[in-house]
Amino acid sequence: MKIMLIDNSIEGLLSALYISFTEKIFPDLVQDKKFYQPQIGSVSIDVPTVISDSNRVKTALYKYGGCDIICHIKICIKSCDSKALSTAFFYAHKTLQLRKDISENLGEKCVSDFSFTVQKVLHERHILTGFLRFFESENGVLYSAFSPDNDVTELLAPHFLRRLGKIPFIIHDVKRGIVCISDGKNLSIEVTDKKAQFTASEREKEINLLWRKYYKNINIKERKNLRQQDNFIPRRYKKFAFETWE
Amino acid sequence: MIDQRRLAILAESAKYDVSCSSSGSRRQNKANGLGNACFGGICHSFTQDGRCISLLKILLSNDCCYDCAYCNNRRSNPIPRATAEPEEICDVVINFYKRNYIEGLFLSSAVVNSPNYTMERLYETVKLLRYKYNFNGYIHLKGIPSADKLLIERAGFLVDRMSFNIELPSENSLKLLAPQKNKNAIIEPMKMLSYDKFYAEPTSPTRRKNFLPAGQTTQMIVGASPESDAHILKLSEYLYKNYKLKRVYYSNYTPTNFNTSLLPFEQAPLIREHRLYQADWLIRFYGFTASEITGNDGFLSHEVDPKCAWALKNLHLFPVEVNTAPAEVLLRVPGMGVKSVYRILSARKTTKLDFDDLKRLRVVMKRAVHFITCKGKFLGCKEEKNICFLLGDAPITQKVFQPSLFDVGYVPSPALSALNGEL
Repeated sequence: MKIMLIDNSIEGLLSALYISFTEKIFPDLVQDKKFYQPQIGSVSIDVPTVISDSNRVKTALYKYGGCDIICHIKICIKSCDSKALSTAFFYAHKTLQLRKDISENLGEKCVSDFSFTVQKVLHERHILTGFLRFFESENGVLYSAFSPDNDVTELLAPHFLRRLGKIPFIIHDVKRGIVCISDGKNLSIEVTDKKAQFTASEREKEINLLWRKYYKNINIKERKNLRQQDNFIPRRYKKFAFETWE
Repeated sequence: MIDQRRLAILAESAKYDVSCSSSGSRRQNKANGLGNACFGGICHSFTQDGRCISLLKILLSNDCCYDCAYCNNRRSNPIPRATAEPEEICDVVINFYKRNYIEGLFLSSAVVNSPNYTMERLYETVKLLRYKYNFNGYIHLKGIPSADKLLIERAGFLVDRMSFNIELPSENSLKLLAPQKNKNAIIEPMKMLSYDKFYAEPTSPTRRKNFLPAGQTTQMIVGASPESDAHILKLSEYLYKNYKLKRVYYSNYTPTNFNTSLLPFEQAPLIREHRLYQADWLIRFYGFTASEITGNDGFLSHEVDPKCAWALKNLHLFPVEVNTAPAEVLLRVPGMGVKSVYRILSARKTTKLDFDDLKRLRVVMKRAVHFITCKGKFLGCKEEKNICFLLGDAPITQKVFQPSLFDVGYVPSPALSALNGEL
């Protein structure tokens, strides 16, 4: 089994595609270098990230796969699925091989796998636009901690930048240590292992209580359906949606 | 800021309003503004009854001067009353919105003093939010029937969605249970809004775009009056067609009034409301008509969903070949939704599909398998009874009897006897 080892970035993936076409190697798997564990009988090919090569592949992908393809590949590699890199690689490889947009050929396994992986990531991004909870600090900065399955912080942040206007905010993915900071105009993303220290003001506590009161009273007791509630708001998201706590 | 007691009372009084959707509007944020609207809508939380919280659903006041028999806020009901000031509502909306608790505001009110006075207060609140607080999030405003047309029209330019509750499915029931309301007072503003939105000559290019970008909806109570499902669905069909409503909401009647013999004392089964929503969806997106879906008695089946029930009634039209059937036929196959039909249409351009491909395209094979063929192959049941049994949603009422070793007088079936060697 041939395994291509790349760094988990779009440039890394595109460099692997370049190598694949120039050296006529078709791998069975594409994996992140960081998490690779050698397997018996497998041959690993270490692919260095070369920006000039990746740019050439990028141009070809835009030409044959349409204007959205790079954006979709970027989304796909943000998936928590261990096969996400391979899925993106096979899809891009097929596009370049056939020299046409294959996004509609859902009968092909590589296309349907790619399409559903992208949808899965976008779905999590969408539901987190609702389930994220911000706390306001004394100086007016909004802070939100969450732990998504997929690495969606970068995809989420522009939504809140558009929405909150000039209000500065911080979104903290505590699982991966990724922090997205907005000063009300620009976004910056940093990786840190520091824990955030946040003390809620009296007003913040009052608003939290008001929200919990509202949540309790808007419920129709005669129609209690906890199973449906659990289906819609999975337990892993309840950790941060404090109104659902008993 | 509004206090906890009043917020609790006003939320409690608003909870029977079903609509909580925040979809249909693409309102953008402005410079120095707060908020925008997402076209698909966003759910922010889910309550214990399984309904989503997307908007801050609240009444401006629950001190109603009407006495509708079915309503929790009726004048004769001894519940605690509260009224909020427009500024207080704006304050709580901004604070909740900033913290991402809500997507916007759903504002309604009981009729205080007169319809015009109430509508004015609602308009004032919305105006404050849009102009003073620069709020560009989603606003759904409940219109007050019999209020002045000009007020309603002006509010239409500030909010994303507006709705007038049709309350009950027939004029007779409305006269009986809500004598202070009348059909025309509800229908006329709906007619006016749909005319302004779709037919009136726009005075400026942005006028039509800015007027109710998410359209209008309505709501009716199911189970408080004797109308059949066929009657309800025909009314919805009429409203969709003639007033271009975005949605009709059905609210299962929850008994709140035990002092009148005009209303049932028990809650109608929730499955009826669920089936009505399913049928409504079929009318809007699948090309069905109300008369096709309902049974001979005018009611929807509780055992199987309306699409399945229709397919079972028309088994002579099935099975259909997935690789050649047109989209409108595929849409009528149980287990196939709009998305899966779209995927099938795209996929079959390049390849002939078989059952494994359909599974990969997320078609619900448990249902679809009885109504389709793939490359001429059929893997489902042919008999209606068996399909009905396999697809039924109703829980099995007959429990399987598990005999204990010492049961006296238990006669095992011949099959069981053969298995345990007694035969």
